[in-house]
Amino acid sequence: MIKRITFKQFLFILPLLLILAVFSVFPILSSFVYTAFDYRPTDPTRASLFLSESFNSGGFHEDGFFLTFFLGDVAFEVPTDEGAAEVAAIQQYVDDFIVRFYGEDVRRITNSEIAEINEFIDSLDVRLTAFYVRYSDTEFFRKDDTFTLIESMRRRFIEPNFIGLENYRSLIQDSRFLSALRITLTFTFISVFFELVLGMALALIMNRAIRGIGIVRTVALIPWAIPTAVAALMWSYLYDGSSGIVAHIFSQVGLIESPQTMLLTASGAMASAILADVWKTTPYMALLLLSGLQIIDSGLYESAAIDGSGRIKTFTKITLPLMKSSILVALLFRMLDAFRVYDLIAVLTGGGPGGATETLSIYAHRLMIGMNDFGYGSTVVIAMFVCVAIIAFFFVKVLGAEIFKNE
Amino acid sequence: MKKLVFAAVTVVILGFLAISIFPFFWMVVTSVKPSSEIFGANAFRVIAENPTLSNYTTVMFEKNMLRAIGNSMVVSSITMLYVVIIASMSAYIISRFSFKGKNLLMGFILSVSMFPQMIIVGPVFNMFHNFDMLNSYWVVLPYATITLPIAVWIMVTHFKRIPLSVEEAAQIDGCSVWRTLWQIIFPLAAPGVFTTAIMTFIAAWNEFLLASTLNVNIRFHTVPVAINSLRTQFAILWGEITAAAVVVIIPTLLIVLLFQKQIISGIVSGAVKE
Repeated sequence: MIKRITFKQFLFILPLLLILAVFSVFPILSSFVYTAFDYRPTDPTRASLFLSESFNSGGFHEDGFFLTFFLGDVAFEVPTDEGAAEVAAIQQYVDDFIVRFYGEDVRRITNSEIAEINEFIDSLDVRLTAFYVRYSDTEFFRKDDTFTLIESMRRRFIEPNFIGLENYRSLIQDSRFLSALRITLTFTFISVFFELVLGMALALIMNRAIRGIGIVRTVALIPWAIPTAVAALMWSYLYDGSSGIVAHIFSQVGLIESPQTMLLTASGAMASAILADVWKTTPYMALLLLSGLQIIDSGLYESAAIDGSGRIKTFTKITLPLMKSSILVALLFRMLDAFRVYDLIAVLTGGGPGGATETLSIYAHRLMIGMNDFGYGSTVVIAMFVCVAIIAFFFVKVLGAEIFKNE
Repeated sequence: MKKLVFAAVTVVILGFLAISIFPFFWMVVTSVKPSSEIFGANAFRVIAENPTLSNYTTVMFEKNMLRAIGNSMVVSSITMLYVVIIASMSAYIISRFSFKGKNLLMGFILSVSMFPQMIIVGPVFNMFHNFDMLNSYWVVLPYATITLPIAVWIMVTHFKRIPLSVEEAAQIDGCSVWRTLWQIIFPLAAPGVFTTAIMTFIAAWNEFLLASTLNVNIRFHTVPVAINSLRTQFAILWGEITAAAVVVIIPTLLIVLLFQKQIISGIVSGAVKE
């Protein structure tokens, strides 16, 4: 008997909902929002999402404060009492104006305020320039600094960095993005293809009751279980041009020209990444497929054998059709996994040589964390998200992969 | 014919075993070589002329590896603990009660486990920056996006296998929902709980993207991050790197040997519909 949920039981799934909301839903939506902005957290004029004209009031107040401070020095150097009084008046003028911005941070600003602030800066500029002209015989130590501060005040306005679909327009014209997309798809299709074929072979073998098959299963788990980053580092040693044994063996048997080919040429690096991925995930693929194989009723094989069906015919007519759903699910999971590949490439080749293995994840991470361009970086991520959705949709709706059964 | 097939299968199996194990074997071989034997003429010798353990002592005590292993233990254990608790609570409700949007929730959980993790990196980085959580153990919270969906999925599968009559009896005896979950369902689902715990632990132990982005400070490096920072721009000390690799693979090896049944069940129930 399945009962309806009450509030008390709803509290049980609340933690799950909260965690998913904070660390999945909110970040996904944020990423979407970021794509509409020229957003660079370490650049003060683009450090946040500014939909409308904003003003760095705190910075403006600081400029004004230092200006009055430097004007104090100027007052000290001016030769006449009259001049000192003039400087004091300017100081007072600045003080009176900036006081309302005290203790504020970046905030929105209206058009009338913009006009008012600009008027203040202009008249300040005029008064100060006139003052220096009047006392052009005196050398003022702080003269240049005062003008620098006035210039800085003018730059405290923050233009809105909302750019609408501009990032998406850049995306489709960005050859680096297109190349990353091509590289990601190449990596995904080739490695998943080999994993499927080899994994299937391995699963068929593991399905047989041979003595010692337990050892094969245990060994199969090891590459899957070790951290990808560590596996990638291991392979980068095996591929190394001067002391890597795999590169050495490959060049000895004539597979590659020289040991350096593995990591230092474009196709070599790609092959290296694919080989390492196949090594790490074929066993996992085999275990997934094995579970599908074990569901098949052994009676079917017996009757096929009685009917005189050969091995190959049994495989194509019985095994494959009955395994369709497990193969599709395994393929889907592996394709999505390979499509978002990050650890392996980041550690093994770092996207090199010359961007030859720069996948979408690597490119997006480099844009966001390396170049601090969260707006465009998020756009690349959203493009990945769309690709993943397309792949999943294709598998579920077109090929009919049953990921989960509705109740 | 039969003999031929048997021979072919044997060759394939031996080849598979050799290829799977060879990288580890070679790590061990290199880790005991002094650096003079790693480069040059002796690079491909199997047995070191002058075997040494100095690579191990260097990475463990001078290169922060011991601390990284500690960090990984802390981070993975915390993740495992809270993910198992939260996943049990939700899986219990999902497997036992009907509510609006249940299929939507399950579909969403599944898609969370499929989307590229890169999508949360930027916003989570900002969040951690704003709340001053960068370089801390708080990294365990976003680990939920990688581990929680699979955990819920495995738990639901296992909870559904427990007959309803068990808890109906408990409820007649006046047992609250909370107690029914922890004292009756949870122990009965022990194999599933165990599988979930191990899968979560391994996923957290192996995580690289978030750990390397959020915890840049060497004091909070986890194992995968720490081992990669052994590779400096100027020199690649393969002896130390291979020694570190051997050290960090040992816990994984132990887990696999001890819990292979649970892991295989986890891989299968995490990916294939029940």
